Amino acid sequence: MSTFYFIAFLSVFFAILVISARNPVHSILYLILTFFTFTIHYILLNAQFLAVVNFIVYMGAILVLFLYTLMLMNLNKESEPVKSTIVKIAAVFGGGCLLVTVVASLKTLGTSNPVVLQNPNLGLVKNLGKVLFNEFLLPFEVSSLLLLSAMVGAVLLATKDKQPKTT
Amino acid sequence: MITLIILSILPILILYLGLYKAKSALLPVTVAGLLVALGFALAEWNSGAQPIFSGMMLFDNFSIAFSAVTIISTALIVLLSKGFFEKISSNVAEYYAIMLFALAGIVVMVSFYNMVMLFIGLEIMSVSLYILAGIRKNDFASNEAALKYFLMGAFSTGFLLFGITLIYGAAGSFNLEAIRDWVITNPRNVDPLFHTGLLLIIVGMCFKVGAAPFHFWTPDVYEGSPTLITTFMSTVVKTAGFAAFLRLFSASFATLSDFWMPVLLVITILTLFIGNITAVYQQSFKRMLAFSSISHAGYLLFAIVALGAASANSVFMYTSAYSVASIIAFGALILVQQHTGSDSFDSFNGLAAKNPFLAFTLTIAMLSLAGIPLTAGFIGKFFMFSGALSQYHIWLVIIAVVNAIISIFYYFRVIIAMYFRTADRNELVVPGYYSFVLGAAALATIIIGIYPAFISNLI
Repeated sequence: MSTFYFIAFLSVFFAILVISARNPVHSILYLILTFFTFTIHYILLNAQFLAVVNFIVYMGAILVLFLYTLMLMNLNKESEPVKSTIVKIAAVFGGGCLLVTVVASLKTLGTSNPVVLQNPNLGLVKNLGKVLFNEFLLPFEVSSLLLLSAMVGAVLLATKDKQPKTT
Repeated sequence: MITLIILSILPILILYLGLYKAKSALLPVTVAGLLVALGFALAEWNSGAQPIFSGMMLFDNFSIAFSAVTIISTALIVLLSKGFFEKISSNVAEYYAIMLFALAGIVVMVSFYNMVMLFIGLEIMSVSLYILAGIRKNDFASNEAALKYFLMGAFSTGFLLFGITLIYGAAGSFNLEAIRDWVITNPRNVDPLFHTGLLLIIVGMCFKVGAAPFHFWTPDVYEGSPTLITTFMSTVVKTAGFAAFLRLFSASFATLSDFWMPVLLVITILTLFIGNITAVYQQSFKRMLAFSSISHAGYLLFAIVALGAASANSVFMYTSAYSVASIIAFGALILVQQHTGSDSFDSFNGLAAKNPFLAFTLTIAMLSLAGIPLTAGFIGKFFMFSGALSQYHIWLVIIAVVNAIISIFYYFRVIIAMYFRTADRNELVVPGYYSFVLGAAALATIIIGIYPAFISNLI
């Protein structure tokens, strides 16, 4: 349990650093650390597959994409729009409302009994595959439609028209 | 299931037709494929469907009726597309294909029996729509619409997904029946997690159907997208969104209605007022239709607020009436827009003198949207209001009637412009496809209005 609290503290700590860092590149580096702590969370929850996917896809691929995008954009301090006082007051007000709601809902929440895994091997790739290809076969197959549609659309939006129209 | 398979294979076929430059075959093949899919859907009517694929989908009469409405509306919209996509770029096949992918997602959405399928169906539809909104690559408004729709849609998907996760955490299942049984067996101590999840799902679904206060994307996206895509969004997509909303709430959460009903009641009243009052101030016909679609979302929410056995039927009536009337309105708008290049009310001035048929069908559509008797829109509103009255929501109905009176004001502006304002204009050329679609839709509006028993007891 103490490992969980330590890692949870680290995730919250790095997440705060992500939004408070001045330099956007530092922000992304902290985001990588945040995702790394999530990976440890998944391992603690006995979800090995999710841990590996989170490690490879999020920490590896997506954050590299983030960094590249950042390099292409010019995020200087001067180009940032200056926020007016009214916006700041509204933001404080909104954040305060959210805080009150969160505190109130946390007070009503009772601690539930610790969840005991019925099957300790639940998160293994083998079991995941079995569930995916038995019970969840249809959603798994139908999601191919989603990918195909997105792929056709991406190509469609990215190709250059031969004779660009002005309308 | 066969309908879904056909609608998944048809777009791939269309893509191949586009690859081999068979441009003239695209439209006939699309319409024929849609009709075949419709035929297979109707063949399963009253066959006593059971959940299939370990409780993932259920093709009961509800899902067949809504599949039929969406497929017919899509076929009408596809007929309107003759000559529309060619003006945008040469990749016409891809547009049809993405529209059909969206329709496949919609069929999943109206026949889900498991929240996973709801999510996947919704995503297939949304992702296709993000692309369709931005197909005018050189038009700034279209780019803005696509980006805004994408950001807002991704945000709302996050809400929906979080809600589904929390409900899974409380009930331990994605299956609609299992969730309902869990609620019934734990009537007193339903987890706070479950309530939070339910609220998040309401937020997510209200985003998708464009109900206030989650409607901010609607006017800009509807106005910026190409008009044909706006037609698709405001008819087929809205129908599917409400069908999914209703199916989810009537199948799983009906016993918890004391908890979520007040929330939806407030959303409904807000939606009605914001949609109708803002629509009065619009100068652009297209933007007015966008706000009117928000207000119609408010009327459609009645069925969920007053959830009962008749809800499915009234949503079915209302969405069919609203879809056919909107298709006429947007079809007329496309013609006028192509002719005058503007979509303001003034561009309709004096239309009746030169194009009596077009003006007549548009008048029927406006009367139906406003809910004047002898049109389908009246019957739809009648079913909604009587459903609400049967649950003693008298104040809600009074508010809705006030709003319906406000809506008459802006719907009649078009009719007044067409018949009583004069302007120098040439006769619009109405292609044969348009005459057919406008005539068929107007006929359907009147038939449903005069003889509602025709479709009113189907589900």
